[in-house]
Amino acid sequence: MIKKIEDWNYYELLNVERTASREEISEAYQAALATYHPGSLAAYSLVTEEERRLITERIQEAYQTLRDPEKKKAYDMALLKRSFYYAPKAPFRKSVGKVEIEEAGQKRRFRDKVRRLLGRRKPAGDAP
Amino acid sequence: MGTRIWAVGGGKGGTGKSFVSSSLGLHLASLERDVLLIDADLGGPNLHTLLGMRNGHPDLGDFLTNKISVLEEAAVKTPFEGLRIIRGTENILFVANLNHYRKLRLLRQIRQLRAQDIILDLGTGSSFNTLDFFLSANPGIVVATPEPTAIENSYLFLKSCIMRVLKLYMDHYKIPDLHQKMLDQIEKNSQSLYGFFKSLVEADRAYGTILYRALRNFQPCLIMNKVRDERDLHLGRAMADVARKYLLIDLHYLGAIPYDARVHDSLRSLQPFFVSHKDTAAARSIREAAEELAYSVEFSHRTPSEIRFPEGR
Repeated sequence: MIKKIEDWNYYELLNVERTASREEISEAYQAALATYHPGSLAAYSLVTEEERRLITERIQEAYQTLRDPEKKKAYDMALLKRSFYYAPKAPFRKSVGKVEIEEAGQKRRFRDKVRRLLGRRKPAGDAP
Repeated sequence: MGTRIWAVGGGKGGTGKSFVSSSLGLHLASLERDVLLIDADLGGPNLHTLLGMRNGHPDLGDFLTNKISVLEEAAVKTPFEGLRIIRGTENILFVANLNHYRKLRLLRQIRQLRAQDIILDLGTGSSFNTLDFFLSANPGIVVATPEPTAIENSYLFLKSCIMRVLKLYMDHYKIPDLHQKMLDQIEKNSQSLYGFFKSLVEADRAYGTILYRALRNFQPCLIMNKVRDERDLHLGRAMADVARKYLLIDLHYLGAIPYDARVHDSLRSLQPFFVSHKDTAAARSIREAAEELAYSVEFSHRTPSEIRFPEGR
């Protein structure tokens, strides 16, 4: 899906791999700052002043988090969790949630099926 | 292996489009590929001069004015092994303003040419003709130089390409109102293309999906020419990053070509720089870019059906 600047994660913002070392992150930060610097040629005519200010803030924020090992670890965990959270669900997934098990009717046994086929009365307790 | 159509374009004049296309052609031909250069700069053709040739007939104009019926007949040999050229025409007034049917006929015949690599050297500006030639090729290469004017025109060229791709997608999926909306929004509210995309995706997920498909299929390449210092060297990569974030396209950066004053001297003596100065850094970086593209699978797939132009007569 198309990503807005707000949705880029810190690694994408700085254009580094998630496995990047501290030096690599620091270098990427310098490069990103230069790219969105007021006098930058790369952003010339394409990025508005407002957008430039916004992304510079985000880049600062990204670097403040990724340079600190503790914060980086927490952020990585959050990224990981988020990607699991948004994982697409299979449309016909069998639910094993507690409520649904309780609400489900009793499982029909083979004997019941045979009885029904033979036109006998339904066994007591079976769901309608 | 099928025919691969390359296009070299970009908004501004004098960035070295013809230099890059002739050098690419010369290098691909030296790799024992069957290469055909086409001077598609309808307004000011001079690709033949870069190869040390004079203009003359047959040329592209002869095909466009129906003097010859098959484009293949306009291809003439160059002094270089494996490299042929279709020269541009001097009959500019007639040809520069190519109408729609002539353009489609030309595009169709280009696809039918018998060559391994067809390189289109495009003209300046962002006219529909130039854009359509650029979009029908894969890979399409934008040549820029590290100057604000060239950067501005390159972004303008890319933006025009994107709008053209979106228009073709919208026609394909029969949603013409969206194109008008896009033009209105961008022209009247002076909203950036990125701002428009953002509001579009927020308004309608279906439109967002089409937009995503369209943008993902448009993968231009970038060459930074006439690079003079360290700062210029990083510019290409920075531009690719900006394009990824604000034009939402995957701009593939091929590398920088260092500035070399001897290019001018070669031009004066009508000798291709790429042949007379084989061991320079500039020639080396062109070789690298050419080989990266020539052997990549990424650029060997066909143009997606949405931006394939209808068959002309």
